Amino acid sequence: MTRPETQLRNVTVGPDQHASTGDPGRRLRARLSATFDRERPFAALMVVPGIVVLALTTTLPLLYLVGTSLFRYDLTAPAGNGFIGFDNYVRLASDERFWDSLRLSAVFTASTVILQVSIGIGLAVLVERMSRGRALVRMAALLPILLAPVVVGLIWRSLMLTPDFGIVNYLSTVLGLGSRNWLGDPSLALGSVVVMHTWQWTPFAYLIFSASLATVPREILEAAEVDGANAWQRFWTIVVPLLRPAIVVVVIFRTVVALSAFDAVYAATGGGPGTATELVDIYIFRVSFQQLSLGYGSALAVAMLVITLAVTLVFLKMRRAAA
Amino acid sequence: MRNGTGNLARQGLTRRTFLQGSAATGVTALAGGSVLAGCGDDEGSTREGTEEYDQAGIDWRAAEGQTINVAVIPATYFGNLLELIPEFEELTGISVNSEEIPPGEIRAEVIRDLSTGAGNYHTHAADPMYYPLYVANGWVDALEPYLDDQDLTNPEWFAHEDIFQMWREATQIDGVTYGIPYDGEVTVQVYRTDLFDEHGLKPAETFDEFRSNAEAMHVPDDRLWGAALRGFPGAGQNMYIYPSLFRAFGGEWFDDGGNPTVNSDAGVAALEYYVSLLNDLAPDGVVNWNWPDIADAFAIGTLGSYIDAHSSAAVLQDEETSVVADSLGFARWPAGPDGRRVTSIWNWSFPINAAVSDDDKRATWLFIQWATSRETQVRTSYAFAGETKRSGVNRESIWDEDEHREAVDAGEGFIDAALTSLQEDTDLDWRPRVPEWPAIGDELAVLIQEALTGQVTPEQAMEQANNQIERILES
Repeated sequence: MTRPETQLRNVTVGPDQHASTGDPGRRLRARLSATFDRERPFAALMVVPGIVVLALTTTLPLLYLVGTSLFRYDLTAPAGNGFIGFDNYVRLASDERFWDSLRLSAVFTASTVILQVSIGIGLAVLVERMSRGRALVRMAALLPILLAPVVVGLIWRSLMLTPDFGIVNYLSTVLGLGSRNWLGDPSLALGSVVVMHTWQWTPFAYLIFSASLATVPREILEAAEVDGANAWQRFWTIVVPLLRPAIVVVVIFRTVVALSAFDAVYAATGGGPGTATELVDIYIFRVSFQQLSLGYGSALAVAMLVITLAVTLVFLKMRRAAA
Repeated sequence: MRNGTGNLARQGLTRRTFLQGSAATGVTALAGGSVLAGCGDDEGSTREGTEEYDQAGIDWRAAEGQTINVAVIPATYFGNLLELIPEFEELTGISVNSEEIPPGEIRAEVIRDLSTGAGNYHTHAADPMYYPLYVANGWVDALEPYLDDQDLTNPEWFAHEDIFQMWREATQIDGVTYGIPYDGEVTVQVYRTDLFDEHGLKPAETFDEFRSNAEAMHVPDDRLWGAALRGFPGAGQNMYIYPSLFRAFGGEWFDDGGNPTVNSDAGVAALEYYVSLLNDLAPDGVVNWNWPDIADAFAIGTLGSYIDAHSSAAVLQDEETSVVADSLGFARWPAGPDGRRVTSIWNWSFPINAAVSDDDKRATWLFIQWATSRETQVRTSYAFAGETKRSGVNRESIWDEDEHREAVDAGEGFIDAALTSLQEDTDLDWRPRVPEWPAIGDELAVLIQEALTGQVTPEQAMEQANNQIERILES
């Protein structure tokens, strides 16, 4: 955050310093800058509608959510509704189903992000070396991203993972692993939805890594090769460090999305069997919109918001430390 | 089947082809006084004019100039109604804005509207299980003032009591009417007549027979499983099937003091039957299946029998996608230990939003009366000009008409199974009718699935369910 600000200051200060040098380009920039300064109030006025809309559509609902979390707001038994202070948060602290779902979300997030990053880099490096067909791979990679997550959930539930009927099940039978109830067996269901999520979103990581890889200077790699570095050394000591900014971006994006994963998993398992794939967002949805406890649901959502913010801040800190 | 989520696109597709063949014969034989529209007209009804509505002798234009908003789900049985709305607008001078909201969202959407008193939807397709909640909050109006208002309603013409009794009662609380059923369904046994003939089987009269029939047909190595029931967790999925078992086994949701009693012997026995039937005789994935998965598996010839909504027959009749289209058999639910059969009383009904103005309420009542009247039910079913004739009409007298029977007959025993179930196998307490149903249904659904996958025993599941329901009722 601090660097962009100093850059900004340099830009505005710059023209003044050089105004007398007689360079026409600089003079023009100085005049433009003066114009901007004069019109700043007007510019601010122009921005106001945007800010108001943003406040109305994001900030206010957020405050309303926090407010609602302090009330008992059960639509199914409205008689006892009212302000209850932090009671919803006290209940949350001892709600085992919430902590279970949080643990599931943590496992789901960590495993999908690690898989997406490692498979994404691997794919990017491999495809980079292909002499032809790169454009085709990139296009094919886009397809899963374009699908609505609900569709992905239903496809994986009905076509891929259904025991006795599904494609994955057929492959596993052919490979001698036998027929498995991928989404119906509590011990396999979480792994299955991790694979499903990874299938849909690894292409996103791949596309970013692939673009980033294209900017790695050939010369460095060639020089390393001349110096006798083998393929692994070149990958680990040159490519990975150069991809680091891209990796951080992918990790942050994918973590936030995985923490709030809902649609595909809900369509595939409904959080089941039992609560075996009940991620936090599915639990919050159930409490709020199926059980109609809006106050407690809001408290859960606020808790999840705090957790997501904390995780994101940690990543941003790490990114700055690394840079 | 209207109870599920995310199946509508499918439903539209499969129902479009529903009964193409029999339709042509059904639409031509019409009751007297009506005018036939031109052949091949696929919009509106084959009946035209307002003569039948004029016979009501009420002032249809009593709320002229009002505009009302109606929320329904995107299904062909409502689609047929929406196509006739121009006729309603012409008859009454009331403008109707309709909105189609998927079944997975309509409850939350409507509750948001009702709970804030915003009055966005004057009426909507309502889940009968939500009336206790609506009424506890005062969100919808009692309809007797409208039913009894001679300027607005002609009781003889409207014939409220012609609507299936249990559907009517499902929309009443303490004898007061809050909604009028528009369309509904019953759950029935569906079986393969060819396999039944081959093994010399008869439609099951008892749960034991249903199981032994399934055992006789069950050859999983040849990709043929004996039976299937919905296993997906959800108030509209496995909690659409389990309540019929629970009640047929003699279960009571609450004791006289209002305390939950789902952990009774009957509750556990019903779940044990459900679990062992699906574990022993259904495909492995069935714990995640909803009705379309079951209907598909049956249509491709991998299931011997199942129990689900009579309307799921539409999927099985399409000869392009179903290899069993000409060997469909239907029967009522098997009976429980005491001879009791319990079918679904599921229906979509229309209430009046309490938050709208009196003028709007009168307009809304005229719409509800029109939509649920015998004449409009006929115009949206066998007399509908499009391909799909509704099979879930609300009036017993229409089910008695040959035209309707011909238009919806799906195979051996279909009409008899559906109609007898509607008349005899209904049970008002099929599911627990309390305002807390949304939470109770959801908790039960999760625990039932845990039992189906063996995470807990049926006894543990019902014990936990009982505790959860107690907690829900206390909080």
